[in-house]
Amino acid sequence: MNGADWLVLLGTIVGIAAYGSWRTRHVRSLNTYLRGNASTGWGTIGLSVMATQASAITFLSIPGQGFESGIGFVQNYFGLPLALIVVCAVFLPMYRRLNVYTAYEFLGRRFDKKTRLLGAGLFLLQRGLAAGVTIYAPAIIISTVLGWPLDLVIVFTGLLVIVYTVTGGSEAVALTHKWQMAVISAGMLTAMVVLLLRLPDGLGFTGAAHVAGALGKLQAVDFSLDPSERYTVWTGVFGGLFLSLSYFGTDQSQVQRYIGGASLREGRLGLMFNAVLKIPMQFVILLLGALLFVFYQFAPHPVFFNQAEWRRHAQDGRFRAIEAEHAGAVAQSQSAIRAWLQARASDDTAREASARAAMVAASHRTSAIRAEAKAALVAADPRAKTEDSDYVFITFILTQLPHGAVGLLVAVMFAAALSSKAAELAALGTTTTIDFWRHFRPLAAADEARNVRVARRFTALWGVFAVTFALFARFAENLIEAINILGSIFYGVLLGLFVVAFFLRRVGGSAVFFAAVSAQALVIVMYFSLNIGYLWYNLIGCAACIAFSVALQAVLPPRARAAA
Amino acid sequence: MTPAPRPDERFEAEPPDVPGFRTWRGVYLFVFGWFVLVVILLAAFTGIFS
Repeated sequence: MNGADWLVLLGTIVGIAAYGSWRTRHVRSLNTYLRGNASTGWGTIGLSVMATQASAITFLSIPGQGFESGIGFVQNYFGLPLALIVVCAVFLPMYRRLNVYTAYEFLGRRFDKKTRLLGAGLFLLQRGLAAGVTIYAPAIIISTVLGWPLDLVIVFTGLLVIVYTVTGGSEAVALTHKWQMAVISAGMLTAMVVLLLRLPDGLGFTGAAHVAGALGKLQAVDFSLDPSERYTVWTGVFGGLFLSLSYFGTDQSQVQRYIGGASLREGRLGLMFNAVLKIPMQFVILLLGALLFVFYQFAPHPVFFNQAEWRRHAQDGRFRAIEAEHAGAVAQSQSAIRAWLQARASDDTAREASARAAMVAASHRTSAIRAEAKAALVAADPRAKTEDSDYVFITFILTQLPHGAVGLLVAVMFAAALSSKAAELAALGTTTTIDFWRHFRPLAAADEARNVRVARRFTALWGVFAVTFALFARFAENLIEAINILGSIFYGVLLGLFVVAFFLRRVGGSAVFFAAVSAQALVIVMYFSLNIGYLWYNLIGCAACIAFSVALQAVLPPRARAAA
Repeated sequence: MTPAPRPDERFEAEPPDVPGFRTWRGVYLFVFGWFVLVVILLAAFTGIFS
């Protein structure tokens, strides 16, 4: 990174944070602090919802997923538009009608205090743990490739987000989200354009897509019924529906984005904006990864993209041999691809099939050498990090983009990290204040200024907790999956609570409370004893909570039912 | 100090005020149709390039 990159990076990231803090420095109203400006329109709400979901991991890991496994991950988002329709039609009108600050207040109104605390507690547990991951994930990658101290990146990111989120609360979050999304869009567009321009002459987008497809990277949909397959249409539609319904309908970091605003219409249109754009957006990011795979078939690249880790362990001659073998395999693969492209243009189907088989075999050989490199790393040090897909896109950024654009793309990562982190902190602070602090200090509810002060303190405390957690914890290698798995374990039961609340009017508080506790225990036991796609736990947790609620309501003694 | 419910808002009757749509049901159907179209296009994309 040179001076231009630093100027772009600091100008955008610090500039947006400073702007957010300055514009919202006079926020004194609890309503504005917790729900944002009352005149917010659907565009801001839509961008804010999108920015909350799009963490830095989205832009680091997902192109890596496309590079490594192809674009099938897009199916993960198939349930999202359907879930958003349900949220618009059922959840959002109820939240606005009751005029709540948090989704869990609704549980208190519908059931009782203990169920509200359980819902809020599940959220704080899940989101609190993830808070450390979302700050650590981009920091580890950015610090590794740029050679910056990891702790410094974590503390810088953490302090920046704490300052403007604590200052302006939800209003600052929504305001900065708009500009952060502008930076993200401009950066990703730049990266795509540069990638397409850097493809070999004559290949173009169509040629690259044909190569990626022939090498198995462009299977966007898979109708397989095998439950052990991680990403299929069915896991996406059903598992993804439950995951998205839980996330958008019951996770305070999202609920807080759309319950404010000028009217119900603005919230609904903001959510529909996401329902329409989310799958195409994820598709483009994954496609970028698949095209990176093609690009690196023609460009020199390391056998292992996490070069810092590689250099740390790859000391002896065995590693040099692997590097040489990989360079030879890449050259062979490149020749095989060119031969296939020529055969494809010749209309000779037999020749094309033969060339395709040779190209696939050459690609498999390259993949086998990469696997061999990872095995060699583990042999050298069992604690070595062997996942390098998160480093593919950032390597491309640093080695292929012109100066200025490098700073912009690094700013994309920071903007995404800050946007999701800010929404998380605001939600954690709000839930702790409204659902816990006020629960134990009911008389303090009338003092608006004190409520705002307490909300600020809790938001800051969660920020400090997230930074500390990120500084001292070590996380799973594939970070986006780690967060999704964590979410899937808790979200299903949380959603079950809300489904019972909305649709099973006869079920009372005690039944649903004990049902949720039992369902959560069941999901945790299943997670540690079964090997099924993790998205299914959303469905299992939700279904178990509903079924147990109905069963318990039927067998509870009449007094307990009446109390419920 | 949770604000009182907003009884005056007529949620279900509120029109979407989006050109071409008179009801929210129409908006939801459009979004659902868009989703189906996107899945079909992705399936076609898979078929063309795989």
